[in-house]
Amino acid sequence: MSAPVTQVGVGDRVPLVDGIEKVRGVAKYTADLAAEGALVGRILRSPYSHAELLDVDISKAEALPGVIAVITGKDAPIPYGIVPIAQNEYPLAQEKVRYRGEPIAAVAAVDEATAEAALDLIELTVRELPGYYNAAASRAADAVLLHDNKPGNIERDVHSTFGDVEVGFAEADLVAEDVFHCEEVTHAHMEPHAAIAEYDPQRDHLTFHSVTQVPYYVHLMLAQCMDMNKSRIRVIKPFVGGGFGARTETLNFELVCGILARAAKGRVRMVLTREETFLTHRGRPAADITLKLGLSKTGRITAVKAEMEQYGGAYGGYGIVTILYAGALLNALYDIPAVQYDGYRVYTNTPPCGAMRGHGTVDMRHAFDTMLNRMARQLGLDPIEVRRANLLKAPTETLNGLQVTSYGLPETLDWVEQASGWKDRKGKMPKGRGLGIGCSHFVSGAAKPVQWTGQPDAVVNLKLDFDGGITILTGAADIGQGSSTVVAQIVAEVMGLDHSRLRVISNDSALTPRDMGSYSSRVTYMVGNATLDAAEKLKARLIRAAAKALETEPENIECAGETYRVANSQDQGIPFDKVVQTALIDHGAITERGTFTVPKSFQGGKHRGGAVGSTMGFSYASQVVEVSVDEETGEITVEKVWVSHDCGYPINPLAVEGQVQGAIWMGMGQAMMEETRFHEGLPLHANFLDYSFPTIMDSPDIEVHIVESMDPNGPFGAKEASEGGLAGFLPALAEAVSEAIGCDINDMPLTPDRILDALTKQRRAEKRRKAKA
Amino acid sequence: MSAEMDFELATPKDASEAVALMQANPGACYIAGGTDLVANLRRGIGAPPMLIALDGIAEMQTIAEDGTHLVIGASVTLARLMAEGLPKRFAAMSALAEVAGPGLREAATIGGNLCLDTRCIFYNQSKWWRKANGYCLKLDGDTCHVAPKGKRCHAAFSGDVAPALLVLGAEVQVVGSGGARWMPLSDLYREDGLDHLTLGAGELLVAVRIPLAAAALHSGYAKSRLRKAVDFPLAGVAVALDCKDGRIADLRVAVTGTNPRPILFDHFPDAIGQEPTGAVLDAITREIGKDITPMRTTNMPGMYRRQMAGVLVKRLITRLCAGQGAKG
Repeated sequence: MSAPVTQVGVGDRVPLVDGIEKVRGVAKYTADLAAEGALVGRILRSPYSHAELLDVDISKAEALPGVIAVITGKDAPIPYGIVPIAQNEYPLAQEKVRYRGEPIAAVAAVDEATAEAALDLIELTVRELPGYYNAAASRAADAVLLHDNKPGNIERDVHSTFGDVEVGFAEADLVAEDVFHCEEVTHAHMEPHAAIAEYDPQRDHLTFHSVTQVPYYVHLMLAQCMDMNKSRIRVIKPFVGGGFGARTETLNFELVCGILARAAKGRVRMVLTREETFLTHRGRPAADITLKLGLSKTGRITAVKAEMEQYGGAYGGYGIVTILYAGALLNALYDIPAVQYDGYRVYTNTPPCGAMRGHGTVDMRHAFDTMLNRMARQLGLDPIEVRRANLLKAPTETLNGLQVTSYGLPETLDWVEQASGWKDRKGKMPKGRGLGIGCSHFVSGAAKPVQWTGQPDAVVNLKLDFDGGITILTGAADIGQGSSTVVAQIVAEVMGLDHSRLRVISNDSALTPRDMGSYSSRVTYMVGNATLDAAEKLKARLIRAAAKALETEPENIECAGETYRVANSQDQGIPFDKVVQTALIDHGAITERGTFTVPKSFQGGKHRGGAVGSTMGFSYASQVVEVSVDEETGEITVEKVWVSHDCGYPINPLAVEGQVQGAIWMGMGQAMMEETRFHEGLPLHANFLDYSFPTIMDSPDIEVHIVESMDPNGPFGAKEASEGGLAGFLPALAEAVSEAIGCDINDMPLTPDRILDALTKQRRAEKRRKAKA
Repeated sequence: MSAEMDFELATPKDASEAVALMQANPGACYIAGGTDLVANLRRGIGAPPMLIALDGIAEMQTIAEDGTHLVIGASVTLARLMAEGLPKRFAAMSALAEVAGPGLREAATIGGNLCLDTRCIFYNQSKWWRKANGYCLKLDGDTCHVAPKGKRCHAAFSGDVAPALLVLGAEVQVVGSGGARWMPLSDLYREDGLDHLTLGAGELLVAVRIPLAAAALHSGYAKSRLRKAVDFPLAGVAVALDCKDGRIADLRVAVTGTNPRPILFDHFPDAIGQEPTGAVLDAITREIGKDITPMRTTNMPGMYRRQMAGVLVKRLITRLCAGQGAKG
């Protein structure tokens, strides 16, 4: 007898399929895996910000009993990096170190204490160079170059103009220009970095477990840096405790762990400390933004001129992409007739920055929407109406060649306006209280991957065998965001099957098809579409089998849950197990493959860097933030957030709401308290006490509303749900605080001391005004 | 945070045995809840050959009244004191609920919180970090990075409970080789971040007692911090006072988080008998401000912490004089 069907398909509020293990504490993360006989791997990190590495003497460390292998830059001579044209980082430093914390050497030893002792025995001979910790210092005329081939310590400068900016400003009734600064923030994912590398010297094979968001990149970079054939490497991703972009790039410790295991001819386990995890970084760079905006008196945007300088850290990493994103996504949120962008990605002697939730867009969006709010105030316009005056109309192509095929921004504005009581309350809040609005958007997957292969963007295999269970094989990395749940829901929906028949296997390169991994919010869109394709093919195959068994044509077969029968007949039908048995005759186990490929027309403009920002579907979000501010302590309390997110269609509304709330939280952290701080390049924040992110006690009530714009190309109409809502929080908070205290602040985060400083400055200015009058 | 800890664990059954163990094992260290100590040890701050666990000492686990005082064993956890309703009897003891978060309060003890090591962003770092920075005056080095020209350690005492107990007039019992003695809590501390406890070699804090009469005072605790949980105080203020016809009497103020010790202020001749007007509060704040010297020991600027100490003092006195909430 078949089990009763309690199908949970798309649109259902399904708890995450891997949630039970997590809640019970039995989920195995990398550091939890049994690693019998594993050696302890530890990394020697640079105590210098910037120095020529003259000698790394490992002889004493090698001689220490219990030390199995010691490696240095000589053992890691091949560079790596996420952007193929900008690979300038090595697993272990070569002739130079460029930030405090950069890996120089590594030890594999029989235990922790021996490994630590061995690190202490490694002797460095260096010639110190000046360290630069902000863009201005790095760009000074007499600054020593971090990388000889990068004059001015600039990794990449980007200049683009679309439309006629000068004409736009000339047509404007109000032109404003201002300078904003956002501090560097980092992901603060809960699970510290860890990897286990097992090298088989007889076969020259490497099996590798790591905390990555993109196992495929780890696979490629291990092969590259270890000069090994990819076929000899197997990469497995266990449970992962968060990423937020930190683990999109392959990270130095992963490569060091692999190289160390080969040198030690065995298994090496490397569990980084929280401090080391912070040092590995790849977060959102500090940014200086100069923004000029023109508005007509009706609130129509006439032109935008934006300049951004990012303090990128010591290596290229994702830098080129980040600086391009900041400019590209000035577009595709509002209708803007002219945009000029000048971006500078600058090297600094700090841990390298990289991708972080809302990649490249957040700080620029803060500046832009904050300016929009202030200019609306100056023009006496409602900031929501200003946004309504600048809406796009889908489908459309932006100035810089981005495709907007679905656009729920108007509906998100309508909802937050109504839910927050905006019309009755904005501008009339009691002293110390304020309301603010911000809008934001993000891509549903980068349309053009940084690694071009000509392969589909996503491949999903469905395996069906004698047991009647369907195994979903996917390379999509579930890092807590729920990708495994989404693929299971799609299969359940298409197949009309209960979840109990489904099993998701993700991320073992020996089993699962290659996937580009979890970054740029691509998984639901791309892997979802591939899953849909595979499930439809499998369903068609089963219908053919049922038709054969019922001696009719496939088009006559209808499915009601697990029963396949002849439509419009008295036929009792046959159960799913019988259909499967029939399908397997003469064939055996079935593997049905689904794919998804982004058409070229979505891959952005023809200009240099035009692919960055391109996507098949943009998500849209509006939010209203209500705050109260204590003018004596400078403390902000977020009283309430109303956020409306256009995710196309919520395949899992429960997961969508969770992701949107998470984005708000992360935006709240950046806006109110998070920032990395350094003392001459040493982090003053490298733990969860000094790097303050909001606790549950700091969380406001967040009311989430979902807008269904039904994207024409997304699976069931779905788009991304986890990144788009973040950026809007910053300008919404800034505007709410401005209403509460009557003064504008251009820097982020709005920590209490910054609020008090601003209030003091305002009082002094008032005094001066009065004295003059 | 990874250095493997290699130590002998001693489990004495009474306080005198603990003191004897300490004196026989130079470099040994008492451990109670371990919530602060273990984090430091894992950073390579100290490497004691022996840890002397206090949780097996029954006399340090009791809560009792002796007619004039409530006597609390030093090993009683903060969570237990909250469950016993201490904040309801002595309102300033609401400070208990301001310590860290619920999980840590289950393990953290009152004695441990009073003996908390001083903190500094140049000190509470890994060995790699401190070595790269040339170490510091408090540990292994000779420069204070907070005030490089001086020869004093400015690490700040950051316990929340001490100021509350100070304004309530609490005393602590210390056991040494010469036996047990009671002393005012304020005598436990000195203004030296390097060596802020006055305990002699091997001496152990075994109990705290609060005068029952303190329950008749209006008291309270207020704390400045970036987040509403987890964080140590940027500045923490406890106030106890009596208020007769809206006029201040018997005013005591204690401040934590700003100096190497929690400081008790109990001499406000100009404020006694006055209503808490702006001018009176300003004068009180000025008086306190003479001794409050927050330095760059946290990521938040010292000036902000100084300002907050003043704001919190004024607010607490105003609130308590207005008689908000019951006495206690």
